[in-house]
Amino acid sequence: MTKDVLVIGGGIAGMQTSLDLADMGIKVHLVERLPSVGGKMAQLDKTFPTNDCAI
Amino acid sequence: MLDVGRHPNIKLLAYSEVEKVEGEEGAFKVTIRRKARYVDEDKCTGCGACKEKCPTVVPDAFNEGLGTRKAIYSLFAQGIPSTHTIDPAHCRQLNGKKCGICAKTCQAKAVNFDQKDRVVEIDVASIIIAAGYDVFDPSRISEYHYRDLPNVVTAIEFERLLSASGPTGGHLDRPSDRAFEAELAELGKKVEKAQKALEKYEEKYGASSSDFIMKYRSGDYGDDADKAKWAEKFEEFLPMHESLEAMKDKASGFSVAKRLAFVQCVGSRDFRFYPFCSGYCCMHSIKEAIIAHEHGPETTSTIFGMDIRAVGKGFEEYKIRGGNHSNITYVRGRVAEITEGQNHNPVITYEDTRERKVKSQEFDMVILATACAPTKGIIELSGKLGVELDKYNFIKTSPISPVDTSVPGVFVCGCAQAPMDVPESVAQASSAAARAAEIAFHYYSEKEKAVAC
Repeated sequence: MTKDVLVIGGGIAGMQTSLDLADMGIKVHLVERLPSVGGKMAQLDKTFPTNDCAI
Repeated sequence: MLDVGRHPNIKLLAYSEVEKVEGEEGAFKVTIRRKARYVDEDKCTGCGACKEKCPTVVPDAFNEGLGTRKAIYSLFAQGIPSTHTIDPAHCRQLNGKKCGICAKTCQAKAVNFDQKDRVVEIDVASIIIAAGYDVFDPSRISEYHYRDLPNVVTAIEFERLLSASGPTGGHLDRPSDRAFEAELAELGKKVEKAQKALEKYEEKYGASSSDFIMKYRSGDYGDDADKAKWAEKFEEFLPMHESLEAMKDKASGFSVAKRLAFVQCVGSRDFRFYPFCSGYCCMHSIKEAIIAHEHGPETTSTIFGMDIRAVGKGFEEYKIRGGNHSNITYVRGRVAEITEGQNHNPVITYEDTRERKVKSQEFDMVILATACAPTKGIIELSGKLGVELDKYNFIKTSPISPVDTSVPGVFVCGCAQAPMDVPESVAQASSAAARAAEIAFHYYSEKEKAVAC
């Protein structure tokens, strides 16, 4: 048995869940279909309601 | 993003897809296809010298086709991993033509046209689906004439136009003006070429083309073939030059879009497409209107919606702030049709339900707040994992366990489960991480127990 976890999708949800797991000491395999992670969020200029930079 | 790439516990498998999933909670065996990038991940430094030299220009999907990229590319400037990728559909070398310029340019010798897909197998205790969503295609709504009218764009396209790293560098240049300017540049090149050809004749015969043509027309040169050619070239040049000047004149009158209209519920809350509310689009439109106003203080925005759903911490205040400080007008009413007025200006016909009147108004640009549609690949992926989908093709969950799918050990977060905004996606992601960790730790301690015995 292993304690690795697979995450499918490297958007904001996939990245956050991977980081949480990794910080708990769990090894994560993060699979992303596109050449880079970021997903739709990387396309956003700013995010509401604080107008913070998305990246 | 950077943290994801750097974390020692995260193995990033970008440009990869899940091919097969076997086993059960605690012991899944997953087959993953690592697609060939034709660039060695270990060698590529992400310097980008290759893409500067690459001769093949392709519409850029990251910029929603509003900009261009090369056949060898990184998805976006700050992309993690920064490894470049060759697009096999457009690369000249991979399509049997002679090229290989990128390989010659690359100092790290990272380009490898012979690279093949690799298949890897991994063992995992649990799986989290965070496959996201697709933007609804508004060309399905014929009355909005998306794609027919150049200045009707989707919210995500508008986002790229607003972005300083986007195709317009953050200027709200209208797509119709950009297309015109591209045409102008094309004609400019042709005129320049024609001018150079004329200059050669001028040098050869020591006379200006305009003086020459007067004499030629009055028959001074008889049937001199070379002179006839010069005259022909000049006759071709004249109308081109004239239309170039006219186009330049027109283009000098272009300015950035100042009157914006946002059309809400495009594809959502619509029984022809998706009856659900996508949740984030009201706030997304308000945000875009506020940012547009920050870019140009004279910008005015009108948001057309059945109602504005500002549900979330600080959201209602944000909406009011937009109205008070960012020239946003909220109109209660659904847009019936978008047509084209003068100068490619979109004209919106709508019912103002407060005044009970049908009205129409002209704008510089219209932005469609498109629905959050289930991602296309989700049907195939759910089939591989055996998880059930709901009637819209989002991953099925129950209200009391919103991150658990129908398969034990498989969890979901983000827009693969339902439409949601960034704060909600992040919260659900942490929730799914906790559920997946429970299983990972449980099976790990089982293993340890077995070893201890």
